[in-house]
Amino acid sequence: MNKTAAIREVIGATVDEPIVFTTGYSCRVARSISDRPNHFYMTGSMGLAASIGVGIALSSALPVVVVDGDGSLAMNPGCLLTAGAMPNIPLLHLVLDDGLYESTGGQGVPSQRVDFTALARAAGYREVSRADNLSTFGKLLKKLLEKCSTPTFVHCVLTSREMTEPPPRIETDLYQHHLRFSQHLNRVNPELQ
Amino acid sequence: MPQPCDVTAAPIPPRRIRTGEVFMTVANTDVNCASILSAALLERGFSPFFGTPCGILAPLYTQLECQGGLWTVSREDNAVGVAAGAAMAGRSPVVLMQNSGLGQSVNAIASLVVPYGIPMLLIVSMRGIAPDFTTENGVMGRLTEPLLNDSGIPTVRLDAASVIQQVEWGRSFVVERRLPAALLVPPALFGWQA
Repeated sequence: MNKTAAIREVIGATVDEPIVFTTGYSCRVARSISDRPNHFYMTGSMGLAASIGVGIALSSALPVVVVDGDGSLAMNPGCLLTAGAMPNIPLLHLVLDDGLYESTGGQGVPSQRVDFTALARAAGYREVSRADNLSTFGKLLKKLLEKCSTPTFVHCVLTSREMTEPPPRIETDLYQHHLRFSQHLNRVNPELQ
Repeated sequence: MPQPCDVTAAPIPPRRIRTGEVFMTVANTDVNCASILSAALLERGFSPFFGTPCGILAPLYTQLECQGGLWTVSREDNAVGVAAGAAMAGRSPVVLMQNSGLGQSVNAIASLVVPYGIPMLLIVSMRGIAPDFTTENGVMGRLTEPLLNDSGIPTVRLDAASVIQQVEWGRSFVVERRLPAALLVPPALFGWQA
């Protein structure tokens, strides 16, 4: 399983659920697979994807998916405390771990000795899982999305590198992108119906 | 989320405790200003509230915890991120922070709030300006206004006589026009002393 395959699996498993994609290649890969209004491409603010997801989940009661990276989580592990402190929010926090800062040239993330699932559990996440192949990851996603009602963490271990060149940068107007996502949330938010 | 509580029981910063008469006069004024500000924010459609504690903001923090509910977030940039999510879901969030936390939040403001045009009200206390002469806060004291203004976030320094009009100014940006704005809290506004 590589990053593109994992993101394709996430997109295939979701319909209307808001998804926050972290900076670097994740949002670029997602947009190249399918550019849907439920996608939020966080092109900067490395480390804050889960915090944004917490704010959406807290304010909309929608199950929110966050596609995070190991470098981002290592930069801001405090996001786990932010989510872990709110046991009743439907947040599905996926960390795609390739061990690399891929978009900056493939430098290694100093996380070989870090147990991300233990960190999440210690920070208050009620459900914590690990997947290292596409079949397990796909089944987990389906199961967790059906009944997500608490901060839920999946450490997704990427075992192979990307096969293709990275897709182009997000060049959409970021303000318009925010509006498109916000309008989507308004449309699907059960609390506003 | 804290439960509703008796606002009259809001703690007063211990450094204010002196003799009976002075204590009552000064402390009531301080709590009143925080109370007026808190009520003005709630009446004008602001919510939810997120914050990282600060001594200058403590009276307001307590009022909001009691009157509206406030989520404490352990680092200010995460609070800005959470507020961004709430804002995109249609809310008009407020983030309370000390200006040292504004330093922590520069990238969240520069690469998320401003370029995506995400509405939120920042309430930022100003350590490092008079009467706070602590050396470790002087740099952020000088940087707070230029940093926010040059980022494209308009600021107003709160003053006790104009709190309601100043909250109304914040509402016109955040709730009405869906833009970010910041209210700055001078150290003495709620009675903080060096």
